[in-house]
Amino acid sequence: MLALALPLVLNQYLQYVVNLMLVYILVSVGFNIVVGNLGQLAFSNVAFFGIGAYASGILTTQLGMPWWLTVVPAGFCGALAGCAASIPALRGVRLFYLAIMTLAFGELMRWLYIRTPGLTGGSMGLTVPEPAVFGWMLTNEYQKFYVFLFIVVVVVIATSRLLESRIGRAFLAIKNDENAAAAMGIPTGQYFLLAFALSGFVVGIGGSMYAALVGHLSPEDFDLIQVILHFAIIMVGGLGSLIGSILGSILITATPEVIRHFEWLVGSEEWIFGVAIIVVILFLPRGLSSLLAKVNPIFKDRYYRD
Amino acid sequence: MIEQIQSVLTNWDAMLPVLPQLVVSGIAIGMLYALIALSMTILYRATTVVNFGHGDLVMLGAYALFILMPMVTFNIAVESSALGLLASFVPPFLVALILSLLVLFAMGYIIHRVFIWPILKGPHLSLALMAIAIGYAVRGVIRKEYGKEVLQMPRPFPEQEFELFNWGGFGTYMTLDEMIFCGVVIVMLLISYIVFSKTRFGRIVQAMFQTQRGSSLVGINVMHYNNLIWGVGCSLGALGGVMLGLALALDPDVGVWTLLRGFAAMTLGGFGSLYGAVIGGLIIGILEKVLGVFISTAFIEITCYLVIILVLLIRPKGLFGQHATLRI
Repeated sequence: MLALALPLVLNQYLQYVVNLMLVYILVSVGFNIVVGNLGQLAFSNVAFFGIGAYASGILTTQLGMPWWLTVVPAGFCGALAGCAASIPALRGVRLFYLAIMTLAFGELMRWLYIRTPGLTGGSMGLTVPEPAVFGWMLTNEYQKFYVFLFIVVVVVIATSRLLESRIGRAFLAIKNDENAAAAMGIPTGQYFLLAFALSGFVVGIGGSMYAALVGHLSPEDFDLIQVILHFAIIMVGGLGSLIGSILGSILITATPEVIRHFEWLVGSEEWIFGVAIIVVILFLPRGLSSLLAKVNPIFKDRYYRD
Repeated sequence: MIEQIQSVLTNWDAMLPVLPQLVVSGIAIGMLYALIALSMTILYRATTVVNFGHGDLVMLGAYALFILMPMVTFNIAVESSALGLLASFVPPFLVALILSLLVLFAMGYIIHRVFIWPILKGPHLSLALMAIAIGYAVRGVIRKEYGKEVLQMPRPFPEQEFELFNWGGFGTYMTLDEMIFCGVVIVMLLISYIVFSKTRFGRIVQAMFQTQRGSSLVGINVMHYNNLIWGVGCSLGALGGVMLGLALALDPDVGVWTLLRGFAAMTLGGFGSLYGAVIGGLIIGILEKVLGVFISTAFIEITCYLVIILVLLIRPKGLFGQHATLRI
């Protein structure tokens, strides 16, 4: 409820930062499904993000669709990419083999954005028109904020419901011991496909929001630095925790804005994120959400166990 | 794609004389990939951890030489004693190279001891993320300090070109750089072959690759040897980084580029196989050059990605590897 009043106290730029946080909340919630809940090391998230963003951008520029109609198709494009990314996992490729392969997949997609200038604008980037919702144009950040907040709340609640259900428990079983899960009758292959598709769907919606927020997509936005940002978010927040993803997105998105105020820190985002991940892995393996759970049990993840 | 292949077939007579040159320069760049893949394989064999931050450590090796070079030249100029006289016979580049390899050895040793060893028993996810985070932090520091301008690596010898052979229109040229790279990589491969298969150290590393727990039961100090191997792997990678800096320019972002080519070579050769890594690197170097000219320049960038994806989909254990997939 308090969040609804945010536009009253923020200026346009800070509102933009808050909107970016909302985008990253969706991205990290989707990423957490594969990394935190299914326990697989996959770098394909940046590919889903880029595919969602470009799908939304191409549908609005080439087909002239209003932005709100492209959100769900962008999610489906991301889900399709998720199915493609899960093929190696279905073939039995696991651990760092999967990581390397998804890394190559992400770079291949970035190459594709550059090499298809007819659709994506090539290395010059793609300029996306102002987002439209039911015929109204979202011209300023405050209007975008309410639309984004609505999408994020709906998707996050749906994801949390899904992860608390039988499906989420199956993911955790696969994470803990894949052989044991298969022995108990869980069709692991189907759940791999489902997890990657779900992750792709959520991240694809995040991508379409990113396209609407930034207004200009360029291939450099979707390189490996982006994927390390996603990793930083879910590691700092807490693997496999929804509260953690939200907390991590807010913290990591706010960091560059805080750094900007200190002269000697300008340009240090990279090593600060790197050191933050190292410190969290060494001293707080479950992320900030585990600290919150100690303070108040309401933040405890009911559906997540180590 | 089809028109391109047709145009290649029609222009076959015109394209064919380029082929030996392409293969030679492919071998030269492939040797670089091979050295990086070799250093990653050595790390992997000892600790069964794949270092996702290796590309950035390779980059750090080149920067370490760049930073050390002026210091070394300055000191030699000041010294007028017998030591200075002795030092004047040794080129400062060599001194700086050895120093930077030592620095990277220490880096690898400390990284493994401080950051990797405490979480070695933990999940693979945090191991991989730790390596990524270390690489990211290194890149961040280098970019903050040196990322603003394009830096040129100091050259130890002038650029020269030699004609290898010229036989009825089929001629190839090779630069001095490329010859020295090939020589260094072959020497390094021989040394690592001898060390890993003939010495006591190599046998200990083999034992640790098979089972760390078992080798600690028979009295091997696993932590110490793991630290050493990380040091060795990082300094070999730094040697690759110096060559890369000579072949291209110094660039903080070269890490990911390097890492993916190293991975492609390792995947093609099979994870954990020393000669597999070298052969994989050579094949990828040649493929890049040949496909880049004969089909499309776009292939220069994506050959390694395609190799990774195709090899892991079709034959995940690579050419000479052990096993890579999980059977359920």
